Amino acid sequence: MTSPAIEIHDVRKSFRDKRVLDGLNLTVERGQTFAFLGRNGAGKTTTIQMLMGLLSLDQGTLKVLGRNPQQQPLEVRSTVGYLAEDQTMFGWMTCEEIIRFVATFYPTWDHSLARRFVDQFEVPLKTKIRHLSKGQNVRLGLLLALAHRPELVILDDPALGLDPIMRKEFNRDLVEHLQSAGTTVLYSSHLLYEVEPVADVIAILHNGSIVRQSGTDELREQVKRLILEPDAAARISGDLKILDSRTLSGEVVLVIDNAPSAIPLLREADFTYRLEDLSLDEIFEAFVVGRPPAPSTTTGTAQPMPVST
Amino acid sequence: MFIRIEKGSSTPISRQIAEQIRAQCLSGRIKPGTQIPSVRQLARDLAVNQNTVLRVYEKLMAEKLLDMRHGEGTFVVDRLPRNELKALQVRFFDELTQVTQQGRLLGFTADDLHSLLDDALTQTQDSSNPTDDVSHKQKTGDPA
Repeated sequence: MTSPAIEIHDVRKSFRDKRVLDGLNLTVERGQTFAFLGRNGAGKTTTIQMLMGLLSLDQGTLKVLGRNPQQQPLEVRSTVGYLAEDQTMFGWMTCEEIIRFVATFYPTWDHSLARRFVDQFEVPLKTKIRHLSKGQNVRLGLLLALAHRPELVILDDPALGLDPIMRKEFNRDLVEHLQSAGTTVLYSSHLLYEVEPVADVIAILHNGSIVRQSGTDELREQVKRLILEPDAAARISGDLKILDSRTLSGEVVLVIDNAPSAIPLLREADFTYRLEDLSLDEIFEAFVVGRPPAPSTTTGTAQPMPVST
Repeated sequence: MFIRIEKGSSTPISRQIAEQIRAQCLSGRIKPGTQIPSVRQLARDLAVNQNTVLRVYEKLMAEKLLDMRHGEGTFVVDRLPRNELKALQVRFFDELTQVTQQGRLLGFTADDLHSLLDDALTQTQDSSNPTDDVSHKQKTGDPA
């Protein structure tokens, strides 16, 4: 039996009196492409640094490919391909020099794969790193992260600083080189529309914990906008998982997270309603800034809908 | 086979791909029996997760629009299924109903709606396929 690629259990972390992670739970299965989403400052980079053994945790447990990165940081780093956010490399080295330099750290380094990436990423071998553009820098970082054929790749906001063309190429590389080879990928981003085409699973980090984790298509199925009359909303709201609720010109506009189970109820009650698909941006927004009507949006007791104006 | 993905759309990527392939098959723009890109190739071209493309192909195979021949590749079926066309027609009616409902909300009467439909019919009369690009001049047998 193989363990998941990443297991995070009830991890807490504070910097001075600022709590960044507050009971983070997360599992990445092997072979998945896992998108780790959150607003700036949500704790994505903190989490990733912990996974790489670069940062300690206050509480909880954390495993990467079955190892504890706090206790075995070197073993973890040799099996994981890591691209840091705004990765800085020795600026005085040429690309060729750093490739040779980094290769020596990895027994699994694949020189022919590295050469293929050099061609494909159009890495200018003779150029000094400090003269690379942002996009070239990311691609060089990616080459260094991938050429030792890691089982797991962790990329901290790789799309940051790439232009739209390069972002698409990056997604293509991900699909072509990593997914087809069965490599597990965890990557953080805040460009949701870039993440959606490639991710198997999306997790939204907010207020220090995962507020939602789901397959991309499944998330779209579940989370929809529901528009109905106020009295209908009041009668059915107990059966809805409401992420956001507002009243606009006499209509109640909800974002719900259980559309498939709500539809039969709405039909049965013979309410007039509209159900709309949401973009991933809108779904994300509902989770991180949505205002549910009352603290108990879970199962059970029907609650009258507070109608605000 | 040209497929355009609109990023950040409220229509999920898988549905965007499925709808475009389906429409191109049923409209005859991709001829029956034509080989289409493999899952891997299309995933690469579109920069989309292979599992997504695979799910789309499987769905269209279940709809009897595509045929995955082992070792050979993926093809548009030789004979398009009639029930699939039927399902699309049903869905078209659903959408038309929704549009009609919107029209009523906008204050159009039944007569208004009838004449609007007439206008729409006139406007689309001369083009065999309104989704075709403008440069598409030659006219083949109109499937009307």
